[in-house]
Amino acid sequence: MEKEVVLEVKNLKTHFISNKGTAKAVDGIDFVLRKGETLGIVGESGCGKSMTSLSILRLIPSPPGKIVDGQVLLKGQDLVKMSDEELRKIRGNRISMIFQEPMTSLNPVIPVGEQIAEALRLHQGLSKKQAWDRSVEMIGLVGIPSPEKRAKQEPFQLSGGMRQRIMIAMALACTPEVLIADEPTTALDVTIQAQILEIMKDLQKKIGMGIIFITHDLGVVAEMCDQVGVMYAGQIVEHQEAKNLFNNPLHPYTQGLIGSLPKLYEDQEELQIIEGTVPSPYDYPEGCRFAERCPFAQDICIQKQPNLIQFDENSKVRCWKYSDEWQDSLAKEVVAP
Amino acid sequence: MFLFILKRLVQIVPVILGVTLVVFLIMQMVPGDPAVIMAGEGASKETINELREDLGLNRPLHEQYLSYIGNVFQGDLGNSLKNNQPVMDEIMVRLPITMELAFFSIMITIVLGLIAGIISAVRPYSFSDISVMVVALIGISLPSFWLGLLLMYVFSVKLQWLPVAGWDSTAHIILPAITLGAGGAAIVARMTRSSMLEVVGQDYIRTAKAKGLKGHVIIYKHALRNALIPVITVVGLQFGSLLGGTVLVESVFAINGIGRMIVDSIRTRDIPMVQGGVLVASLVFVFVNLLVDVMYRVFNKRIDLN
Amino acid sequence: MSNVFQEKSPLLQVSELKQHFELKKEVIFQPKQVVKAVDGIDFDLYPGETLSIVGESGCGKSTTGRSILRLDEPTSGDVLFKGQSLLQMNKKELRSIRGNIQVIFQDPYASLNPRRTIRQMLEEAMAIQKVLPPNKREARMLELMNHVGLRPEYLERYPHEFSGGQRQRIGIARALAVNPEIIICDEAVSALDVSIQAQILNLLKKLQKEFDLTFLFISHDLSVVRHISDRVMVMYLGKVVEIADKSSLFNKPMHPYTKALLSAIPVIDETKRGERIILKGDVPSPLNPPTGCRFHTRCPFATERCSQEEPLLRELSATHSVACHFAEELFTS
Repeated sequence: MEKEVVLEVKNLKTHFISNKGTAKAVDGIDFVLRKGETLGIVGESGCGKSMTSLSILRLIPSPPGKIVDGQVLLKGQDLVKMSDEELRKIRGNRISMIFQEPMTSLNPVIPVGEQIAEALRLHQGLSKKQAWDRSVEMIGLVGIPSPEKRAKQEPFQLSGGMRQRIMIAMALACTPEVLIADEPTTALDVTIQAQILEIMKDLQKKIGMGIIFITHDLGVVAEMCDQVGVMYAGQIVEHQEAKNLFNNPLHPYTQGLIGSLPKLYEDQEELQIIEGTVPSPYDYPEGCRFAERCPFAQDICIQKQPNLIQFDENSKVRCWKYSDEWQDSLAKEVVAP
Repeated sequence: MFLFILKRLVQIVPVILGVTLVVFLIMQMVPGDPAVIMAGEGASKETINELREDLGLNRPLHEQYLSYIGNVFQGDLGNSLKNNQPVMDEIMVRLPITMELAFFSIMITIVLGLIAGIISAVRPYSFSDISVMVVALIGISLPSFWLGLLLMYVFSVKLQWLPVAGWDSTAHIILPAITLGAGGAAIVARMTRSSMLEVVGQDYIRTAKAKGLKGHVIIYKHALRNALIPVITVVGLQFGSLLGGTVLVESVFAINGIGRMIVDSIRTRDIPMVQGGVLVASLVFVFVNLLVDVMYRVFNKRIDLN
Repeated sequence: MSNVFQEKSPLLQVSELKQHFELKKEVIFQPKQVVKAVDGIDFDLYPGETLSIVGESGCGKSTTGRSILRLDEPTSGDVLFKGQSLLQMNKKELRSIRGNIQVIFQDPYASLNPRRTIRQMLEEAMAIQKVLPPNKREARMLELMNHVGLRPEYLERYPHEFSGGQRQRIGIARALAVNPEIIICDEAVSALDVSIQAQILNLLKKLQKEFDLTFLFISHDLSVVRHISDRVMVMYLGKVVEIADKSSLFNKPMHPYTKALLSAIPVIDETKRGERIILKGDVPSPLNPPTGCRFHTRCPFATERCSQEEPLLRELSATHSVACHFAEELFTS
């Protein structure tokens, strides 16, 4: 039985307009997040994954950014078209977000307990005392010892790992339906990362929120995520269940990415590399954006952009190789002298 | 914190020594013999020489200086050459007036500056922002005495809304305080604006937005508290130029403050008065700086603990 | 099991290296606060090998690299290059030795002078070390660009015109320009995307074979370290906790910290995921490291002895040393 859909993103497009031209950072993203599920969005720098997550809550710096198309449906309500007032009620309340840099994402002059409590007072109408008590409770819940003492401290008195826990406490204080985590462990040591991921999984079991997990680390994806969307040049090029993605990556980019990872438990002589570089978001090619780097590219790839098509029940891929036209294209090759 | 304050208080001694030495030497180099001025027109050479002996002006310089310093540490700033009254008495009368003027000026600097700075920062590059910044630029560029005379002309002479000079009623404070505070307000406005703009681009403001906090909460609770930190330093520095400005403003508006006292005393070569006035002004400056530093640390506990 | 590299005599010998940083005193009368970034480490670096130093933030690995180069002056201990003490040399002698030990830094955006073209940069490097007479340098530059996979016309460009991966290649070219024997890579691929990282790692391996280079590879990423190293040294809070040849370290780690570190890394292959050891708490401050074994506050196996007596680095085999009182009991193979 499929779980309830909590968030649905349809054809989301966020562009940045400047005198350099228009950068199509997010260019037609579709995905679905279900209750209690973790969706990973993975890609390298510049692919648009962070911008996608910021677009959901309309946190894009604007100007120069702008959501030019698409819908973000929270149980049916479109966040893109919503008024500012309505959206503010959702932020930190029904959809929360945590960011990459715990060192700079907390206000340096306000005690951390207060930074959690203010969201509680605002969204849940708690009194000052109630909010403070609940805030201390949350700090304990994320595994910080002596929470009453810590709540009164300012961020600089806490380590990076603790600050990230505070961010999580802050984000989950109002028991949101969706948690967007934008590279939450990238800036942390690996042993601290393990702790943080553990807490997130734990709290997800308790609270039942859906998590959108943005990362470039495929290992983290394998551990945390149920579903995975691979992004490249502003688009999703593959969407699969996490456990299948690594056994059977469909898109040549995903294959290249997995191949270029040094493996912790295996010796490799040479790492697989992907030739070339990412195209500029100001100037995407007409056809498939990965074509110029793809070892399998054919004419059709250069001429026309492939759509994200359903490969089987649980996977989607954006690649001509998996389309009906592909066989024709190959046939043409053989026939020509 | 306590040790910090103690350390700073101890530093006052070298300040006193340094200031008095500098003033002393400068007064020695300025042409004009105080004895001649005191004795008046047409005094005989003997009278003048006698006077010089009485005033101890013929002693070697270092002796004059050392005896002066000795007296200072006992609270005796000497007597005015003009009327032989204790310098300390005169200062005690005038100091409160200058302090009042300084206080109201700083209030104007802070309040006007902050409001203007916040208005600008909240809507950067808008009409209100640009106009505020242009006015601020003019404010910084105008010489204070020119502004003072202009305001006096418009509001006192032409419109007759406010008194021209003196220090008798509340109305008397308005124009001088504005004149003195305007330049500082402009600087504070610009500083507040740039500090706010920088703060607003920080990650923690993005976090505040992501929590769904309302706009004014983000600005006043989250942004301003951080943005004010460098502004406090600027206000502290402003105090220094404020003291200097009192000289001009007190002269223009005929206010009996220390600034005017120092200017008049220089003109009459009344060395003890000059020395006393400058010394007291310096001490006030040092204390205000200490206060600002303490406040800065209170606002910004990270520095204290590191 | 012996390490084939260890048949030759070591290029670099580090003994009891300490790097302490004093914090500036706020007020007189307060006791001095010292950050013991590196607190007595010993290791050797053999010709032709890649020795990696791994650890999390604050362990002292980057500081070790900088101390060897005397970018920070070590507090005590010694570093011998081919038998000569680097720490006792004067500036002039050091400068000529520097040609033999080069470094590539982490941040491709900060380590290149933005006001110099690539040509000027390479030219300067060669001039300082007096590598080749001036008339032969042009050819050498083209050679270098070729080795690192950059087009010759890029010589005329400025750093800001290049991507992160390309700048790292330039950094490598600059290091190679003076014919070093040792290159210290200080988190050289950490700031790069995975696919670019793969390119640079392949390049480093290729260059090592071609030019008989020795690498001291500093990194926090154990997967990268596995790929590129011959031997691995694990540091924690300024001390070496384990040093072993690669396969021993990854297949049979003997120190609890190394075990925890390896288990913490998320791996793609489900079958390779072992029991995860989650360490409690945060890394203690290097201002005030724990007594005895520095790891005892977070070690799941700590005893009374661990909090009182500091374990010395001792040999379990010719190629595997550990600093733990109970290494044999805990993890017998």
